[in-house]
Amino acid sequence: MSTFLLDAQNLGISFGGLKAVQALTLQIPPNALHGLIGPNGAGKTTAFNLLTGVYKPQTGSMTLNAQNLMGLPPHLIAKAGLSRTFQNIRLFGELSVLDNVMLASHCRGHHSIVATLFRSPTFLAQEQAMRRRAMHLLDLFALAPAAHAQAKSLPYGDQRRLEICRALATEPRVLLLDEPAAGLNPSEKQALAKLIQTVKAQFNLAVLLIEHDMSLVMQVCEQITVLDHGCTIAHGTPSQIQSDPRVREAYLGEPTPTPAGT
Amino acid sequence: MPSALDATTNAQLRRPNLPLITLPWLACALLGLAMLMLGRFLGSYQETLMQQVGIFAIAAVSLNIVNGLAGQFSMGHAGFMAVGAYVAAATTYYGSLLHFNTAELQPGLFNFGHVLMLIGLLAGALVAAALGYLVGLPSLRLRGDYLAIVTLGFGEIVRVLLQQTSPQVNGKDPAEIAAFTDAPLRTLARIPLNGALGFEGVPAYATNLWIWTFVGITCLAAYRIKESSSGRAFLSIREDEIAARAMGINLTKYKVRAFVLAAFFAGIAGGLLAHAGVTTSPIDAGFQRSFEIIIVVVLGGLGSISGAVLAAIVFVLLPQVLHPIKDYRLVIFALLLISMMLLRPKGLFGVREIWNILPRRAAHTKPGATP
Repeated sequence: MSTFLLDAQNLGISFGGLKAVQALTLQIPPNALHGLIGPNGAGKTTAFNLLTGVYKPQTGSMTLNAQNLMGLPPHLIAKAGLSRTFQNIRLFGELSVLDNVMLASHCRGHHSIVATLFRSPTFLAQEQAMRRRAMHLLDLFALAPAAHAQAKSLPYGDQRRLEICRALATEPRVLLLDEPAAGLNPSEKQALAKLIQTVKAQFNLAVLLIEHDMSLVMQVCEQITVLDHGCTIAHGTPSQIQSDPRVREAYLGEPTPTPAGT
Repeated sequence: MPSALDATTNAQLRRPNLPLITLPWLACALLGLAMLMLGRFLGSYQETLMQQVGIFAIAAVSLNIVNGLAGQFSMGHAGFMAVGAYVAAATTYYGSLLHFNTAELQPGLFNFGHVLMLIGLLAGALVAAALGYLVGLPSLRLRGDYLAIVTLGFGEIVRVLLQQTSPQVNGKDPAEIAAFTDAPLRTLARIPLNGALGFEGVPAYATNLWIWTFVGITCLAAYRIKESSSGRAFLSIREDEIAARAMGINLTKYKVRAFVLAAFFAGIAGGLLAHAGVTTSPIDAGFQRSFEIIIVVVLGGLGSISGAVLAAIVFVLLPQVLHPIKDYRLVIFALLLISMMLLRPKGLFGVREIWNILPRRAAHTKPGATP
């Protein structure tokens, strides 16, 4: 049995002739903070979509806490303990902030229609527990004062944090963050870095982070995997990655000799 | 010192409980009383109008579950209504022939005829719900326009199938009744629903009191669904299917659940219509009726239960109010609808209810205050 919480081996998917992700291996121990980086179009978000079941991996294997996740639909993967945020924010805009978070605890409860229609004591207790838990999470993210506002009316930075908050409400073992710092200013990025570490420690979960902001990635991640054109080109600690020639090549292009005459 | 969290949590915990339990019940009781009293002051024409309003309200509130809350555009709602109508009509009509030897209305506030009607309503609703399950299944793969076409097709299939049924037993002919009571099952196996002519002579047990009782039940049920984890699941599917799935919502289960619930209450609306003293005809399953219900739901606001009831009242009564201007009333009616869509594209109340429009609007101005 592997010592890894999330153990994905050789995941791959192609769309027609395009090999979007090939032989992706991600092994994340409990309580790790793992970075997934790569140039635009490297397949990072596709990798997330494979892990969360949006796309079915065509090759490979994937287990979470020794439970096989291969071929499961997204809602069962979420129930198994893998939760995510989205690169382009996907909140339930018309719903209140509170409802967004309460909804995410759905997979941890039972929702019989008879109990709902007759408001059985268990139903009411469950609703209250969901509400209390959601308010607790919102308070942690300093979003509690806006609990009854529509999610789409929140400022951008708050929407990003609400997405993380919502993902946590599914009670995940592994949290996947897809470019959480996109569009944030430097001070907000610093706050986010601190938030990610607090969340990781407090909820005792592993974090897989896709991010373009290198200083943030290098600052918080313990291990980094680098993708380019769907292939894993490097894997290691931040300092190993920074000195890896293949990573430099992927980001900056091949070192070409200066053409003569210029 | 109480923190902001405690204050908000307590307020939030208390807030829904009050209107949840008292308001719909109160509304029910008041409406029921009004129905009993108003019946004495209104002419039969006005009573018929009120019956129509009530049946429309049930149909709209039920369609709102699938169209408004879950965001699955169904255009076959009249199909479910017609199924409920025919099952309920047949239950009461043939049940009356067997039990009373006649299909005449039995006098009294509550007798076996009413029991037959209730059995018929339940049976019709269950058959409609079963069909709702079948229609709900393709909604997993079909979105938007495509789903609309499939549901439209369902309504048309129901209509055409109902036209093929065999003539009904004539409740005024003792010989036919005797033949029927001798071998009821053999007669029923022919599906005697009177084809394109429409099923006639169902005793009109569904008075305004009955209809509005069911309006109350339907509204209460819809409200309880809306303000529950299932309701949130429906709304999340409407807002963003991908995010809903990623947050652990089983799309299959909840889309089908929305269709089944909507079809169930549509079946009740149809069953009541069959007992309201009108001929139940296959046309009732057609797309025209479906469109009317959609108009009511959109007018009231997708997701708003009280909005749907209010819109049903407007929809039925407005043409009556406009009656003096004769032929132009339909033009005015259409213009009102168009201007409504231009001025309030989300309907009267959007997704909200009448009673929480004011407090919610106050809450709206707050989010800027967050750090």
